[in-house]
Amino acid sequence: MSLLKYESQLREPLVNGNKTYAQVTEDIVRPIEAKPSKLWYIGFYISVALLMFGVYSVYREVTYGIGQWNLNKTIGWGWDITNFVWWVGIGHAGTLISAILLLFRQGWRTGVNRAAEAMTIFAVMCAGQFPIFHMGRVWMAFFVLPYPNSRGPLWVNFNSPLLWDVFAISTYFTVSLLFWYSGLIPDFATVRDRAFTKLRKRLYGIASFGWTGSTKHWQRHESLSLVLAGLSTPLVLSVHTIVSFDFATSVIPGWHTTIFPPYFVAGAIFSGFAMVQSLMVVVRKVFALEDYITIGHIEAMNKVIVLTGSIVGIAYLTELFMGWYSQNKYEGYTFWYSRAYLFSPYGWSYWGMMACNVLSPQIFWFRKMRRNLFVTFFMSVLVNIGMWFERFVIIVTSLYRDYLPSSWSVYYSPTVWEIGFYMGTFGLFFTCFFLFAKYFPTIAIAEIKYVLKTTGESYKADMTAIEKESASDFAHKVHAH
Amino acid sequence: MASIKDQFVIPGKMKTWSYSLIGVGLVALLAGLFTKGFSKDEHEQAVFWGTLMYNTIFWTLVCNAAMFFICVTTMAWGGWQQSFRRVPEAISTLVPIFGSITFVVLIYVVFIGHNHHIYHWIDDAAVEADPILKGKKGFLNTKFFLVWTTLAITLWSVLGWRMRKLSSEADQAAMDHETGASFIKRNTVVAAMFLVWFGLTVGSTIPWLWMMSIDAHWYSTMYSWYTFASSFVSGMSLIALWVIYLKNKGYLEYTNQEHLHDIGKFMFAFSVFWTYLWFSQYMLIWYANIPEETVYFKHRVQGPYKGIFFLNLIINFLAPLLILMKRAAKRNYTLVTFMAIVILFGHWIDFYQMIMGSVSKEHVTLGWLDFGILSLFVGLMILFTGKALASKPLVPKHHPFLKESILHHT
Repeated sequence: MSLLKYESQLREPLVNGNKTYAQVTEDIVRPIEAKPSKLWYIGFYISVALLMFGVYSVYREVTYGIGQWNLNKTIGWGWDITNFVWWVGIGHAGTLISAILLLFRQGWRTGVNRAAEAMTIFAVMCAGQFPIFHMGRVWMAFFVLPYPNSRGPLWVNFNSPLLWDVFAISTYFTVSLLFWYSGLIPDFATVRDRAFTKLRKRLYGIASFGWTGSTKHWQRHESLSLVLAGLSTPLVLSVHTIVSFDFATSVIPGWHTTIFPPYFVAGAIFSGFAMVQSLMVVVRKVFALEDYITIGHIEAMNKVIVLTGSIVGIAYLTELFMGWYSQNKYEGYTFWYSRAYLFSPYGWSYWGMMACNVLSPQIFWFRKMRRNLFVTFFMSVLVNIGMWFERFVIIVTSLYRDYLPSSWSVYYSPTVWEIGFYMGTFGLFFTCFFLFAKYFPTIAIAEIKYVLKTTGESYKADMTAIEKESASDFAHKVHAH
Repeated sequence: MASIKDQFVIPGKMKTWSYSLIGVGLVALLAGLFTKGFSKDEHEQAVFWGTLMYNTIFWTLVCNAAMFFICVTTMAWGGWQQSFRRVPEAISTLVPIFGSITFVVLIYVVFIGHNHHIYHWIDDAAVEADPILKGKKGFLNTKFFLVWTTLAITLWSVLGWRMRKLSSEADQAAMDHETGASFIKRNTVVAAMFLVWFGLTVGSTIPWLWMMSIDAHWYSTMYSWYTFASSFVSGMSLIALWVIYLKNKGYLEYTNQEHLHDIGKFMFAFSVFWTYLWFSQYMLIWYANIPEETVYFKHRVQGPYKGIFFLNLIINFLAPLLILMKRAAKRNYTLVTFMAIVILFGHWIDFYQMIMGSVSKEHVTLGWLDFGILSLFVGLMILFTGKALASKPLVPKHHPFLKESILHHT
């Protein structure tokens, strides 16, 4: 017998229904070829409108200066950096799914990796806006690049984690983009081969770099994917590690804590998966992709959410504990008054964070909850609200009362332009995502075909005979072969 | 019907080796007890008990990491590890044994020896005079220490025992779809309980209580995760050693290079992960340069522990990084054996510097006593793991995922 891979029937199929290769292509490419629905247009226009509002908010900030925002002493970082960290965090799931889950051989990643990687790239684009426009004189933004220049001895500060961010995020963005795109090439070729107009053929032809599907092409494609996966894995960890350094290298109470790097990474994966869930629950319905993004996929991601949520929970409690254990008055004040005391000015945000990030995901210990689409969607939104609060708590509650009581700041609330900027990034994110969903195969066609014959529902049913064999007979056959 | 060598028989040579190692260890233990343990000099006493402490804590956590591996792979519905899962199971039978030794040593240090050279916070007079230690009394007190230590070791042992008991069901009768599904589910429930308890102990409180509190003033939020990484990568190395040993003796027919390659990946990946946590903790303390925190590294980097400090990085980071990176290396039995020994030794040294670096700040005491006690623990580990391996079949032949493991390609 020729058996290259076997999977227990106890595992749910990754592709439901009686699919053939042709059917897979048909199902995934159909939405690209059809005219978008009314719902798509409504969603798209709302996103563009939000984006325009964002552009106007940024225009005001660039024209009149940072004073358009309500940052004050001592809150020099507010919504801007909160939003930055929030978006970067979301931009972690895609590469985790494509690289780390690839290394862990999680077959279910094939159903969601394409959309998750796309989301990653859009999220990192949104994130980048905040530090760039926070510079104030944005036309000087290129000063962050270290190159021999005419500014005399004026160099970037290599000791600053903010500069490491520039390197880490731009590297991450580049590699993620390459990874995503290299996976798209064979799928673009599939779309090209089905194209019904000359223009379509032309455009998808260019996008697929003349892919023919020859063995040589596949071989190179496979080795490239492996190299990029290898490169991406440390990058997934490095980005949020360095973002955490922005805070942890300082001596500000509540920021300077050694657990920050792994805890930020866990939190980033947590929020990234929540965003993937929010999008996938909708995408699978709208494009009728329920056979590819199955309840099993949703359940697997909910497991990741309860895992990372609990890791983050241990980190929160560790910090809170050390705030007391250290017997450092400033740490104690930050953690036990500014944060954990519900009736302090920002106490509500700390408890909001705890409720959304630590307590609520615990319902995913129950299988019924993990497989409930409504609960999943609701929870995914809740988690992202919680993760926004996490960054807000870290930034604002540590800054608003510093070592010198005379400079303690007044209560900080954002201006409409600050909120507008944030809304604008939602506009950017969803505009990109709507375009992606319309013009790109939202599921990796080639990768689904790769797992179809071992994990497709109809193929799995054929394995009943093997399932009943004893282990030694099975081993005998496999090794004799 | 092909039959395989499924029942491990303890070879005479292994018995001889384990008893000799234990013998050497006991001689060292007695010699240490008389020269240092009963010494009038409190510092000498501290060195003796500290040496016992880091050895017993290290081995308890390493063997517990084997159960952590089983539980994590169970929760993740892993299939590949089934063909050799009895190895980590056997290693984890040592948790109650080493756990009891840890318990006795710690209870002696805290309650009988009152060794405040090790735990400064058990000295009531000193605590009263020190506002910081006084403030920590809610956590650093002997009652809580006793309760939490007892609870931690007991629950690790009991939940681990439950997992092993469940695993034995896979030896009995073939499972159909329904019994298979319920078997997996029951495994998942116990594994989840173990992991939650693991997070609340190894992932947080236990390293603070047993180890970090030796530097009673000092604190680092990373400390427990760092300790976990150190013990987990050692646990994977120990699993690798036993798997290779059994392969060489002709057992574990279903386990092959593919599985070894994946174990090697764990050894590689978690060596890098350990380094990541090491770097994060060290760099952040170095960068902020706050005396309350740098005090921990002062004598480790600039004082007598300098050599060990850098040795730690070389054997636990550079060696695995350079040697295990290549695919061929992870598939080579000799090389993986060599690296497993290097990593185990490296993290034993890491535990040495974590505990002895705080117990004996002025002098590096690494010497005959350390290696003698190590020999005692290695001997016990070989003896009891061997017994556990021989006590049931080496392959859970009716496990629903076993066939996935037989046909495993990395």
